[in-house]
Amino acid sequence: MFDLALTLFVIGFLALGFRRPFLWVLAYLYVDILAPQKISWFLLASIPLSLIVFCLAFGGWLLADDKRDSRLNYRQVLIAVLLVYCGVTTLSADFPVEAAAKWAWVWKALVFALFLPLTLRTRLRLESAALTMVLAAGAIIIDGGIKACFGGGGYGELKFFVNDNTGLYEGSTLSMVAIAMIPLIWWLVNHGTVFPKSWLVKLFALALTFACVMIPIGTQTRTGLLCLGLLGVLSLRNIRHKTLYLGLAGVAAMIAVPLLPKSYTDRMGTIENHQADESASTRVAVWKWTLEYVKDNPFGGGFEAYRSNKIKIETRAASTDGNTTAVAVTEVLDQSRAYHSSYFEMLGEQGWAGLGIWLWLQVTGLWQMERLRGRWRKKARAAGAGPDVQWQASLATALQSAQLVYLTGSLFVGIAYQPFIFMLIGLQCALWSYLRRIDQPKPDTIGARLALKALPAT
Amino acid sequence: MVDYFAIGLTHALLALAAWRLVMSPALDRDPETENSLGPDKPDV
Repeated sequence: MFDLALTLFVIGFLALGFRRPFLWVLAYLYVDILAPQKISWFLLASIPLSLIVFCLAFGGWLLADDKRDSRLNYRQVLIAVLLVYCGVTTLSADFPVEAAAKWAWVWKALVFALFLPLTLRTRLRLESAALTMVLAAGAIIIDGGIKACFGGGGYGELKFFVNDNTGLYEGSTLSMVAIAMIPLIWWLVNHGTVFPKSWLVKLFALALTFACVMIPIGTQTRTGLLCLGLLGVLSLRNIRHKTLYLGLAGVAAMIAVPLLPKSYTDRMGTIENHQADESASTRVAVWKWTLEYVKDNPFGGGFEAYRSNKIKIETRAASTDGNTTAVAVTEVLDQSRAYHSSYFEMLGEQGWAGLGIWLWLQVTGLWQMERLRGRWRKKARAAGAGPDVQWQASLATALQSAQLVYLTGSLFVGIAYQPFIFMLIGLQCALWSYLRRIDQPKPDTIGARLALKALPAT
Repeated sequence: MVDYFAIGLTHALLALAAWRLVMSPALDRDPETENSLGPDKPDV
């Protein structure tokens, strides 16, 4: 019954696309985030759903969409360069079979990030993409949040619809995405037109935000806690009553800490005392190995290059008995340990050049959003400013905060090609292009230029 | 049970959003840019 309902939903969604082909782009966002074909055990699982929806989305845009407003942002060119570069390193990868398996999903994420901004050419499309991302990821987050509330959590133990530890169903990744999504949820509440602001919308957003906060607690990931802390600090930038906010945050923390399970506070304690923690020490050892590796392989070793590492880890645990403190040193030998950091993932797999392109893509995103924020805040505060100039700076800020949360989470999780984040980058590119267009109303679209060239000389 | 609730709630909202989007002319034609680009091409 559940399987049938899910299948009917997907068929219905795709059927609406025949009336408005853009719905297929949203359907791809939904399928890529939630992976309903993995939740389903019969009907959807038996067809290549992701491929079908991608073909519909691209075909719909190519054949039926107005492309006069589609512009190529230079960050999309950067994504294209990264795509080609990764393709080349895959051909000469240290582990060709494993590299090909990773390439199989990475190229899709990059191609879609390149394509997405071309379709997001109206305000409503931008909003609908953000809404679809929030609701699709929200399904996993609500599920995890409720289970965490009822004590179903634990590191690697929180169960979702799918237990294959890939994509958003991996604890650390979901923690980071859940926190990164919070600013977007509130942008949708304050400026959304599909679900205009009402007490019901606010109630749902509050509950969803609570579920987002519960994910790092439920999955007991340290990354999530860092991300949450950063978002708290970033929110200070946009809140009018800063002292009140700080006071409330302090009270909330004081109430929350005693309610947290002991296993959670114990695990978070290892952030400070990382030398006693094997997982943290392994990361440091792998990062040192990566730095050595790129000395000999400056262009990286292709996807999954970490598999060749052999590392020796020393963990130190101090135990105090009376006046005596004994330090127990344990040596552990390990191999093929993953990078556990997007920065080192890029460095080890794609070398300095690949890391450079990736960082450039990230930093230009932060910078573009900062510029939009500054420019549109001025417009929003100008005398006589209407409601139509209020949403732009807020969306730029939300996308910037989400990216900063991601970049912080990335320090300790290898999620350099996370499709959800590339969708956020796609949204940033689209917002930048859209706002430039409405700021400078000139017929300088690709379509208009081609039309001018096609005119016979007089 | 929790799984059904999470899927049911979000999918109901997604379905409602999709329906509202299909009904909205602003999905394909932005009122902000409409005037700046001259006359529309006929729909394909």
